[in-house]
Amino acid sequence: MPADSELARLLEHPAIWRGRSAARTEAVSTGFDTLDECLPGRGWPRSGLTEILVPRFGVGELSLLLPALATLTRRPTARWCVWVTPPLDPFAPALAAHGLLLEKILIARAGTSLWAFEQSLGSGACDVVMAWARRLRTREIRRLQLAAERGRTLGILFRSRSAARESSPAILRMAVEPLPQGARVTLLKSRGGRNGSIEIGHLPAGS
Amino acid sequence: MRRFTAQADEASVRISDEASVRFSDRANVRVSDAASKPLPTPEDSGRKLTSLRSVRRPAGAPVAGELWIGVHLFTGTDALERLATRAQRFTPRVSLAPPDGLLLEVKGSLHLFNGVEGLCSCVASECAALGMQFALALSPTPLSALVAARCGQSAAGRPIGAPFIVLGLAPLVGQLAPLPLKALRWPQEMLDRLARMGVRTIGQALRLPRAGFARRFGTESLAMLDRLTGRDADPRERYRVRERFRRKRDLTYELESHEAILRALEPLLRELGTFLQARQCSLMQLECFLQHRQAPVTRCLLRLAAPAADATRLGELLAERLNQLVLPEPVRSCELRSGALVRSTLASNTLWQPGEHGGAVSVESSGLIERLRARLGPEAVYGLQVLPGHRPENTWRAIEPHPSQEPGVAPDVRRASSVARECDAVRAPDVARAPVATGTPRALRATRASDTRSLPWPPFSRPLWLLPAPRLLSQRNGLPRRRGALRLLGDPERIESGWWDGREIERDYYVAVDIHGVRLWVFRERAAPHRWFLHGLFG
Repeated sequence: MPADSELARLLEHPAIWRGRSAARTEAVSTGFDTLDECLPGRGWPRSGLTEILVPRFGVGELSLLLPALATLTRRPTARWCVWVTPPLDPFAPALAAHGLLLEKILIARAGTSLWAFEQSLGSGACDVVMAWARRLRTREIRRLQLAAERGRTLGILFRSRSAARESSPAILRMAVEPLPQGARVTLLKSRGGRNGSIEIGHLPAGS
Repeated sequence: MRRFTAQADEASVRISDEASVRFSDRANVRVSDAASKPLPTPEDSGRKLTSLRSVRRPAGAPVAGELWIGVHLFTGTDALERLATRAQRFTPRVSLAPPDGLLLEVKGSLHLFNGVEGLCSCVASECAALGMQFALALSPTPLSALVAARCGQSAAGRPIGAPFIVLGLAPLVGQLAPLPLKALRWPQEMLDRLARMGVRTIGQALRLPRAGFARRFGTESLAMLDRLTGRDADPRERYRVRERFRRKRDLTYELESHEAILRALEPLLRELGTFLQARQCSLMQLECFLQHRQAPVTRCLLRLAAPAADATRLGELLAERLNQLVLPEPVRSCELRSGALVRSTLASNTLWQPGEHGGAVSVESSGLIERLRARLGPEAVYGLQVLPGHRPENTWRAIEPHPSQEPGVAPDVRRASSVARECDAVRAPDVARAPVATGTPRALRATRASDTRSLPWPPFSRPLWLLPAPRLLSQRNGLPRRRGALRLLGDPERIESGWWDGREIERDYYVAVDIHGVRLWVFRERAAPHRWFLHGLFG
């Protein structure tokens, strides 16, 4: 006990910064309570790169983001929500039905999607930038992460599940797997948050 | 205090009366051939300043110290602006009176062009050079100059003898009196009423009682008469020449690399920057021409999403565009040409950085679009818009993104969706209603009620991704397959629409799950082969 109080007193020293407080970030709620609780700042970080690893395209990774996108595009000071080279056409009526403000959505179809991604992240004109990447090197991800912090932008990078083995400078990494009633989200890395896996229900998409 | 103001008013009236008398003394060279007196004293010019400052002057205070040439064009009105530009060599105060009139304030220029006659002949030869049929008039008020010119005879080809020259206010009314009223271009109905009263000339109209005239024909007509005779001030907007930036630089040696060309363009860009800054203008379009020895000129066009005046930013964008160019030959000279200039609107800076708490975006917003477009091409960057209708292919389209748009649903979109509900829903009577979803995430609850009201279908039954065209699925025993059998969820939604434009669809849409757990939007044709198609992913 005395050792504990000694430690507590030591930790009160203003020169000591602990991981959790240092990682306190501005965040936007994911819209899912269970997921919010596991994330530092209780939501998606407002600036920094987040990786979402999926076994294949379309397992529910976009649904995971929709509530946050709706919140972000509807703010009075909303910036762009950029989709860099999405694999298919985003279906505008469905996005509008989920509460997204279409005027704030910008689609960029680029041959060099990495360049467009970095430009958008670093420009400071975007709230969210999403990109679908194939293979990336750690150096490139570090550049993206720095650009996202420079532009105070939430960068979302959708990658294949196999990338989970590689290390990454992204501040948040999670894997999403489809379940019959929703999806399982596994936190692989979260600065100042806790890791683990959570199951979240489907967005009620017609089922 | 009150008395004091009244006295001051009286004084000013008296002073200006004196001035006008004195002015009219040296008034007319030809019409009232009075002896000419010395040029206006400093007191005159001081009074002119006060008259400019106060737009609405007290009644009875005449406009003095101005002399206007009115030019009326019988032909060649399309060259009005060209004439206005050329007329600026006579005076800086040139005003357009569209569609066929031009006004020059020439008081200060008379002594530079050999007096009235010299100036009139100069203006006349300028008009004749442009091949116009025209008439001139000289008068102390702009409106009277214009009206008198309208009544004049075409002077083209004749040696100039301007028929209407009045240099002072005093003889003005008398000179205007015989002119027909229709030169004032009042409505025909009003002219007819005046003609029935026996009023056909300006002089007759001026003799009518003011109060009665205002009551019958409106105060605006009375004010026009006041401006005509100089009772009231008649400020005219000055014509400004539309400017463009155009600079060429011949190089001493031929350049091949893009960096070298950019360096060669740098002084031109700097010049463009100061040019724009001095005029407080921005541009929307910039052209760069690169000349070669043999090959045709390479043209590089830069279109901007929002007006820009910053030379470094323009330079960066131009660099992106130039890097895309394939040059056939080395470059010998380069040229920059601006598009039309637009007046800069200066945005106020915010305390916060964009993205910080409370920080909004300003220039970054359009800057991003421009940068992306400069590299990826103009079609590669677009926004989304919802269109009314039931056919999934026709319910959205790509649109030009609007960087300056205020947040909030655009009114026309809202209107379009309500139209959809009214017309398209009637034509597609049997749209099955999918069960309404429950358990909406909490972030959406607030927005749902307002946004989905105008949608013609249940909100959560649409996929987030749509295939560009439906993809045919294989089938076994009438059920669709994609990397294994698909499991269909829930009831079908029938979409039948489009019979009126030949692209009719009759489909039953299902939500399906494949073996990997990916949720798909598939449909079965209602027509004979009953094929299955994949149309979207729920993602």
